[in-house]
Amino acid sequence: MIVCGAGHAGVEAALAAARMGASTLLLTGNIDTIAQMSCNPAIGGQAKGQMVREIDALGGEMAINTDVTGIQFRLLNESKGPAVQSPRAQCDKKAYQFRLKHTLELQANLQIFQATVTRLIYQSGRVIGCQTNLDIDFHGKTVVVTTGTFLRGLMHIGQNKNEGGRLGDFSARTLSASFLEAGIELQRLKTGTPPRLLGRSLDFSRMDEQKGDVAPTLFAFHDTRSKDDLFHVEQSSERRIGWVPGENQVSCWVTYTTPQTAEIVRANLHKSAMYSGEIEGIGPRYCPSIEDKFVRFADKPRHMLFLEPEGRSTNEYYVNGLSTSLPFDVQLEMVHSIPGLEQAVLLRPAYAVEYDFAPPTQLFPSLESKKVENLFFAGQINGSSGYEEAASQGLVAGVNAVNKARGVAPLIIQRHEGYIGVLIDDLVTKGTREPYRMFTSRAEHRLLFNHGSAELRLLAHAKNHNLLDNNRLKLIETKKERVEHWVKWLEQSSTIGGTWATAIRRVTGQEGVGSLALPNEFLREPSTVRDEVMYRVRYAGYLDREHRHIVKLSEVEKIKIPPNLDFLSIRGLRRESALKLAEFKPYTLGQASRISGVNPSDISVLMIMIEAGRGGTGQKV
Amino acid sequence: MPRPTDTIAALATPAGTAALAVIRVSGPDTPQLARDLFGNAPPPRVMRHADYRECDGALLDDVLVTFFAGPHSYSGEDSLEISGHGNPFIAQKILEDLYARGCRPAEPGEFTQRAFLNGRMDLSQAEAVMDLIHARSERALAAANQQLRGALGRRMTVLVDTLLGVLARVEAYIDFPEEDLPAEDRESVAQTLQRLAVETDRLLATSHYGELLRDGIKTVIIGAPNAGKSSLLNRLVGHERAIVSAEPGTTRDFIEERLIVGAHALRLIDTAGLNPAPATLEKLGIEKTFERIAEADLLLLVLDATQPAPPLSPPLLARIGNKTTLVVLNKTDLLSGSSPTKTPAGLKVVRVSALTGAGWEDLTAAITEQADAFQPEIGDELVAINARHAQALARAREGLGSARNKVTANEPVELLASDLRGVLEAFGEISGKIDNERMLDQLFATFCIGK
Repeated sequence: MIVCGAGHAGVEAALAAARMGASTLLLTGNIDTIAQMSCNPAIGGQAKGQMVREIDALGGEMAINTDVTGIQFRLLNESKGPAVQSPRAQCDKKAYQFRLKHTLELQANLQIFQATVTRLIYQSGRVIGCQTNLDIDFHGKTVVVTTGTFLRGLMHIGQNKNEGGRLGDFSARTLSASFLEAGIELQRLKTGTPPRLLGRSLDFSRMDEQKGDVAPTLFAFHDTRSKDDLFHVEQSSERRIGWVPGENQVSCWVTYTTPQTAEIVRANLHKSAMYSGEIEGIGPRYCPSIEDKFVRFADKPRHMLFLEPEGRSTNEYYVNGLSTSLPFDVQLEMVHSIPGLEQAVLLRPAYAVEYDFAPPTQLFPSLESKKVENLFFAGQINGSSGYEEAASQGLVAGVNAVNKARGVAPLIIQRHEGYIGVLIDDLVTKGTREPYRMFTSRAEHRLLFNHGSAELRLLAHAKNHNLLDNNRLKLIETKKERVEHWVKWLEQSSTIGGTWATAIRRVTGQEGVGSLALPNEFLREPSTVRDEVMYRVRYAGYLDREHRHIVKLSEVEKIKIPPNLDFLSIRGLRRESALKLAEFKPYTLGQASRISGVNPSDISVLMIMIEAGRGGTGQKV
Repeated sequence: MPRPTDTIAALATPAGTAALAVIRVSGPDTPQLARDLFGNAPPPRVMRHADYRECDGALLDDVLVTFFAGPHSYSGEDSLEISGHGNPFIAQKILEDLYARGCRPAEPGEFTQRAFLNGRMDLSQAEAVMDLIHARSERALAAANQQLRGALGRRMTVLVDTLLGVLARVEAYIDFPEEDLPAEDRESVAQTLQRLAVETDRLLATSHYGELLRDGIKTVIIGAPNAGKSSLLNRLVGHERAIVSAEPGTTRDFIEERLIVGAHALRLIDTAGLNPAPATLEKLGIEKTFERIAEADLLLLVLDATQPAPPLSPPLLARIGNKTTLVVLNKTDLLSGSSPTKTPAGLKVVRVSALTGAGWEDLTAAITEQADAFQPEIGDELVAINARHAQALARAREGLGSARNKVTANEPVELLASDLRGVLEAFGEISGKIDNERMLDQLFATFCIGK
C-alpha cells in the first residue's frame, strides 16, 4: 500500500496500515516536515480533543504524540458537563515532528521515502501506483492520497503570490491533472495563517498570562511508548528533548487589537488578497481573517489575540487571531499597533493559501473514491481543516485501504459512535463549501461523546479490525466490565432514601458527590472508571433518551440501498432528489435522508421502492 | 407497500343529489378501459360526449369523458374522469359497472396517495390535499388552501428562525469557550423561550379548530321527549330523515346529519329525549345521550314553548355546565301570548317554530355566532393544523418548557441545548428537516468567532 503525503492524515494512514501488517510505503516531498503543524501549535480543543481520544482508541498515534511533546495542557469547558469538556495541548512543534518521524522510522512493515508524487498510474478504472519527480515509479494494491494544501497550492501576501502548500515549501503542481483525468472533480478552498513573532521582542508585561492546568488532562488512554521511543522518559536525561507529560508547562499570552489596528486594516483593505479579488477559494467562517473581523463585526471594538509559543527550544510565537492576507508592510504596522507587540519582530509573515480539494461526496463512507477503485483520500483534499480532522480520516483511510486489499468489510464508524463517524458521514454525504472543521454541535448525539468514553465506544471497531494489541484490548474490556458493573450496582443498590443512583442524581457538584460516602470498593476503582460511572449515572435520563433515539434511527440506517438502484427511473421521486441521489449514491436509507434536498417523502418513496424490490425479487438487500 | 398495479375508481364529487357526479378512474388499465367503454382511444385532455353503456350493452347515462395520460394527471397515472348526471342511483350503477370491469373501489385518499407516490406532490401538499378532501365548509376550504400556499409554513419559519437564534446563542458558549464572547445572557434566553412557548401554544390551539373545520362542529340536540328535537333536526337539514312521531320517546338511536350553517360545517346529532322519569329502555338511551353531550362542541337545548320547562336533572346540568349551549324555544306557533317556559339563566335563547319555520334566521344567526367563537385568534391568517402537526407541536411545547426550567435552574448548558435540539427536530417534522448548518450560519453571523 502507498500513502502519498506525510502530514497528519498521511502518518496515521501509514501507521495504521503497517500496524495491521500491510507492507506500506509512505512518500513525502520532504522527510524533515513530516507531521508538521503548518498553522497553530496546538492539538485538541472543542470536539477536536474528543477526536484525538477516538484516534487513540483506534490505535492512532496523535494522542500519545501530543502527550509527550505537549508543553501546556488545558481542559476546556471544565465548568460545563463532561460531554462538552475537551482536552487541549500546546505542543512543541519540532518535538512533535521529530517524535512522529522517529516513530515512523521504527515502525515495522513501513518504509518512508522522500519523493514528490507527480502522477497516479491507473489501469482499467483502478489505481495501481504512482510516478514521482525522481522518475521512480511505485506500485501498490491501494493508494491513499493526503495532499493537504499542496495540490496546486498558491500563497498570497497582499499582491505577492508564491506557489507552495506552506511558506518555504513546494507545490504539487501536476497531480491535479491526474485526478481530472480520472474524472475526479476538483474545487478550490482557501485558508490562512497569522504572522510568527520573535518572543524576545515582545512585552509580555502588557498581556494577560494564560497558564496550563495544574493537573493536566492527557489524550492517550494508555502509555504505548516503547523503550526505543525518542521520548521514553527513562532516557530523558540523556536526550536533548523529552519530558514527563504535563511537567514544566509554558504559558500563552492574551492581548487585544486597538482602534488603531482597525484603522490600519480599513485603510488598507484594498491591498488584501482576499478583498481585492485575488483569491477564488472559499475560506472558513469560523476562522476569519482580521480584515473579515473588522468588516463583518464593525461594531466590535477589539478582537482578542493569543500568543502561543511554538516550542521549548525556540523563541518563535504564533499570533492566534491575526490571520491575514494583507501585504507585509501593513502586517508590520498592524502588529505594532497592538499592546505588547509595539516592538515585535516578524519572523514569518501571515499569508493565505489556496489549494485544490476533491469534493468528498465523490467518496464512499470508507473514504475510497467512487470513481477510481483502490484509491483513498484523507485530510484537506477532502475539504476538511485541522490536524485532528485530518488524522482521523488518515487513520480510517489507512485501515480501509488495507481492508480493501484483503477483501474485508470497511471500517465505518456510525454517527452515534463518535466524532470521527460524524466527520466522515458529513463529508461524504453533504460535502462542504468551506474548510470543514468539527464542532460539538455537528454531533446529534453529543451527550454520548464525553472524551473519557472514547475507547469504550470504539472498542468493537478496534477489535474487529485488529487495531489494538491484545493486552490493551483486555484492559479496555476490563474497564468496560467494571463500568457496567458499577452503573448497574448503583442503580440497584439502596442507600438512605432510595438507590445510590437517585442519591447521586439528587446532589449537585463534586462536593455533593463527596458527601455521599460511596462504598470504598467503588472509590478504590481507577478514576477513569469512576468518572465514566458517575457520568452514566448522573446523566442517565439524557443518555437513555439518546439511546432510544439511536434505536429509532437505526431502522433506516439498516436499510441498505441496492448499489445498482437507478434513482432516475423511480417515478415517485422528485427530479431534484433523484439527481441528488444518483450523484451521491447513498449507502443506506439513513445516509440518503441526510443528503440536503432529499425530503422525508422521498425517503418514504425510496423505502417503498426498496420494499417493493424485495417483494419482487425475493432477495434481501 | 407494493407499487400500484391495479386500477381504482371512485366518486370524486360528494355523494348525494347534485347537478353533476364525477367518477374518477386511475391506474394502468385505464386506456384499455376507455377503449372498451367508448370505442376508440380517447385523445388526452379533451372532453368528449359519450354514451355510458353497461357490460351487457344497456345505456346508463350520457356522460362527458376526459382522458388524462400519466404523468400529466392528478394521480400521475393514466386516468379517466366521467361526468354523469348527479343522480346518486346512476352514479352508483356506473361505479358498479366499473368494478365489474376489473376496477377496485378506491380507498379514501388513495388518488392523493398515488399522486404522492408518483411525485405529483410533496408530503405537506399531500396532507393539505387530504384535508381538502375532508373539508366540508367554505372556511375549511380557505384554511386548507392557505396551508397549501404556506400560512402554516410562514408561521413555522418564524418559530424555527427564532429557535435557531436561541440555539446559536447557547451553542456558541459550548463550542467556543475561549472566544471573547459577550457575557452569557440567560435571562434573554429564558424570555425568548417563553415567547416561543406562547407562539407554539397559539398554533397548537388551532388543532381543535382544524378538527372542527375538517369534521364539522359537533352539535348535539338535547331536550325532553316531544320537545321537537327531531322536527328541529329535520327542519335544519331540510329533508325528512329522522323519524318523527307524535308519541314521545321514538328517537332512540342517534341520527347524525352534516350541514352548512352560514360559513360553518355542522355535525348535527339528535338524541333520545331526556325524560325525568325514564322507562328502562329509555334509561339506556339517556346514558348514551350523556356520552354525546360529553363529546359535543355545541349543545342545542330544545324546550317546548307551550310547557313550563321541565326541571333539568342535576346530572344533566352538570354535563352541560361547561359546554357552549344555545336554548331553542320551539313550538312558538302554538303560543297565543307569551311563553310560560322558564329558561335556564345565563344561556342565549332563540324562539322558533320547527313546524312553520318562524324565527329561523335568528337560529342560524345564533349558531353562526357560537361557531365563530371557536375560531382561534391568530393574527389575520387562518391556520388550522392537523393531528400530525399537533403531535409534533405538543412535543416541541414540552421541550420548550423543559428548556426554560433548565435556564432558570442554571443546569448545564449542553442539557439545555439537548432540549432545544429536540424542539428543533419537532418543528422540523412540520416545516421540513432543519440542517445544523443553519444554526452555524446564525452563530457565525451573530458572534465574531476566530481565535
